[in-house]
This record gives sequence, structure tokens and C-alpha cells, in this order.
Amino acid sequence: MGGNVIKINVLLFGACREAAGASELNCDLNAPADVAGAWHVIKTRFPNLEKFERSALFAINEEHARNADPLEDGDTLAIFPPVSGG
Amino acid sequence: MSVDIFEITREPIDKLGLEKRLLTGAAGAVVTFDGVVRDNTRGRRVVSLQYEAYEPMAVKEMRRIGAEIRERWTDVERIGVIHRFGPLEISESSVVIVITSPHRRVAFEACRYAIDRLKQTVPIWKKEIFEDGEEWVEGQAPEMSQ
Repeated sequence: MGGNVIKINVLLFGACREAAGASELNCDLNAPADVAGAWHVIKTRFPNLEKFERSALFAINEEHARNADPLEDGDTLAIFPPVSGG
Repeated sequence: MSVDIFEITREPIDKLGLEKRLLTGAAGAVVTFDGVVRDNTRGRRVVSLQYEAYEPMAVKEMRRIGAEIRERWTDVERIGVIHRFGPLEISESSVVIVITSPHRRVAFEACRYAIDRLKQTVPIWKKEIFEDGEEWVEGQAPEMSQ
């Protein structure tokens, strides 16, 4: 059944959070959705994130995720630059 | 392994307290890594650091590192990792890792592994505050396994 829309929660951290000027937002996506598709939608909303095109990392529900990983309704997608703890 | 300790905190890290909490009679070696804030980076004077963490995921990733250590070094007795976030001054500890084991070699190796992995996988970021500006520290893009 096409045409379904899912809602995800998006978290931004570090330099990505600062570039977007937002730490948390909601996002509607057409199903089936994946990380790459969500990233495209979010970059359109926040063009300043374009500079993280090559470096941005993702997590779905607190687990590291890759571009092709699917997103389900209610998921939390985190977007962040390479980590620099320690 | 519920006796291992993985924490994220805004408060100063109690290094000796962490060692004490982890020390069992079976341990003959305690290796502690203490990461502290340095006052310079590439010749530029650093005034302070600001750490940001994705807290629940950071603790999960620390636990994962603990599990990896137990797979590789079955002799490890206890594992403790505490990472601080928020504003930190020069010489304050940002991360303390404690490994105990019956003999020293395992504790040294596991401790080094823990800090190396932490810097690759745990979602924490730091920003350097200079006298004349501020800059996020660029992490290494990971070769994410698979």
C-alpha cells in the first residue's frame, strides 16, 4: 500500500546541531523510508547541513545506522558528525 | 557483568572512587586511563572544552565496548568507564577508564583498547574554546564495521 506517511523524531548533535540551529525536530516521510531519504529531506529543510554531506553519521533508536537502513513510524533518527570524545 | 560501571556525568569524575568501586580481591592489577583537558591544540591556546553527549546511546556504546573487552580478554576482572560532559577546565578529567585483572598485561591491553574504541564509537563531541573563538574538534570518520 503506497502513499503511507511515517513520522520520525530527529535529533541533531554537535556541529550538526549548531549548523541546523535545532537539536530536535519531527519529520514526515513517505514510506518506505530509509536513512538516506530522511537525510535528503532534512538537508532540504536545513541547507546549512549540506556541508556534512560526506561526514554525517546516523543512529536509529540509539544504534549506529547506515544510509540504506529502513526507518519505521515512531523511530528516532540521530544525525551527528564523526565522534570526538575522550 | 552488572558490576561493571558505564556512566555519563556532568559532575567531576571521582577517579579514586571509581577504582575503589571496582576493586575485588581477585585483582592484582589496576590500570587507569585518565584523559584530561590540554591547554593547547596545534599551537593554539585552549581556554576550556565543551563536551556534548547523546547520553543514552553513549552509555549503550560504552557497554558494547565492555562486552568486546570481555570477549577478547576473558581474564579481565572489572571494567569502569565514566565520561564527563558540559564545560571542562584545563587539567580536568574528561574520561576515566579503569580495568582490573589478576595480572597486569591484560589490564594494560584492555584499557588501551577501551579508550581507542571509545574515541571511535561513543557519541560524544567536544568543542575547543580559544581566546578568540571556538571550534568543534573533527572526529575521524569511522570505518564502520561492515
